[in-house]
Amino acid sequence: MKHFFIDKYSEVKSPIRNLDARAKIITFFSLILLCVTTPPKALLAFGGYYLILAIMLVISKVPLSFILKRVVIAIPFILMVAAFIPFIGADVGGSYNLWGITLYQRGLLILFNVTVKALFGVAALTLLVSTTPFDELMEGLKKLGVPKVFITIASFMYRYIFVVVDETMRMKRARDSRNFEGRWIWQASAVGHMVATLFLRSYERGERVYSAMLSRGYDGEVKSLSEHPITRKDIIFTLFIISTAVLLNLSYALIKLFIGG
Amino acid sequence: MHIPDGFLDVKTLAATAAMSAAAVGYGLKKANEELGDKQVPLLGVTAAFIFAAQMLNFPVAGGTSGHFLGAFLAAVLLGPWLSCLTIAVVLFIQMLIFADGGLLALGANVFNMGVIGGILIYYIFMVIKSSLPKSRFGFLSAVAVSSWLSVVIASAACALELALSGTSPLNVALPAMAGVHILIGIGEAIITTVVVGVVLNVRPDLVKTYDSEGISGTKTAGGVVGGQ
Repeated sequence: MKHFFIDKYSEVKSPIRNLDARAKIITFFSLILLCVTTPPKALLAFGGYYLILAIMLVISKVPLSFILKRVVIAIPFILMVAAFIPFIGADVGGSYNLWGITLYQRGLLILFNVTVKALFGVAALTLLVSTTPFDELMEGLKKLGVPKVFITIASFMYRYIFVVVDETMRMKRARDSRNFEGRWIWQASAVGHMVATLFLRSYERGERVYSAMLSRGYDGEVKSLSEHPITRKDIIFTLFIISTAVLLNLSYALIKLFIGG
Repeated sequence: MHIPDGFLDVKTLAATAAMSAAAVGYGLKKANEELGDKQVPLLGVTAAFIFAAQMLNFPVAGGTSGHFLGAFLAAVLLGPWLSCLTIAVVLFIQMLIFADGGLLALGANVFNMGVIGGILIYYIFMVIKSSLPKSRFGFLSAVAVSSWLSVVIASAACALELALSGTSPLNVALPAMAGVHILIGIGEAIITTVVVGVVLNVRPDLVKTYDSEGISGTKTAGGVVGGQ
């Protein structure tokens, strides 16, 4: 089984791990929302958001290297979509000259804006799933109003990712051991045959699992025994972090209002 | 590659999220009507399949590779609304567990892959299919063209959203996104067509959009499905 990538640290005991999933979901989702809606020039606010995340990271005992590994995921998209923006002309704002290359101020600001927000989003989500076991996370989302069937299908998918990915890896190993060397695009048809086999095996597995569930009394609803009351700790944590983040979100506008800029 | 947070502005996020939520909501209703309590295991395992299939790379050109996306394949096999629901589940898990794609951008990602790559292209596929001869070859040709279109149009939609948000200008983002995906789309078309062909041989009942009336000689191949 190769499931190195799943919520690896979610069972590490820490004060954040012990909070109710709902409190954490609301807190982290609000943090992301507030960060994304912060004006790009509010450098101080972004520093503040990252500081909040850093403090929670230390308390949660999740290694920084794990978060950094995940953050890398967002980088190809940034490179493809935004990395060139500082080099193309903009009608407003100044420009810099660096070793004979012209960089435009407005483009640099856009690049900074998307990078700082994208990386924050990935880091915040990673910290959330690293401090909340998957079933608690799903239970929390269900209680917060995400449709039950959607959550149940997602939980099923999560359960079977391990099985289907293992199956895929075995097929890939078998294919590679027969000297498959992907070089030309028409070799994609070999991948097509693998995907077809994978689909049929998965679908038929789904049918078998369904009969097995029926024989164990499944009636369309997955029951959960966990019952977590919201405690005062959860409320204080959520309110404290969200109010700090709201202040950070408004800080740029407030500073402008009082000092004038 | 999914859109992370921070790339789209509030109006684009809200508009795409509203349309995706409506499509997924209708998909949930359809799933309940068509599959009943079978929906959970079947769609759950199919979602896991799409996730795993996306891990398979194929060569594109000059050492680069693309991976299979599967939005249109899901639409051929499950119908447009269930495919949109399944794609939404896949994107939801990828976002939550692997931080691939942003939280606020989830609506936009579901819109590009599920609503455009699944539902819209499905209806375009129906038009293409009806204009081609009613044969296995005609059906598979329609599958090939539509799956290529699904990748190219979904990437164009992504470029359009980025331009509407003021992140990157359309005249740069569109050629960059669509250019790459015109090539990736060829791989997608090959894979999707092969998959649909094999499934038609082995379990023709699973290809809901294929009406076999008047098409004879569908050969059955045993032994393709092995394993447990």
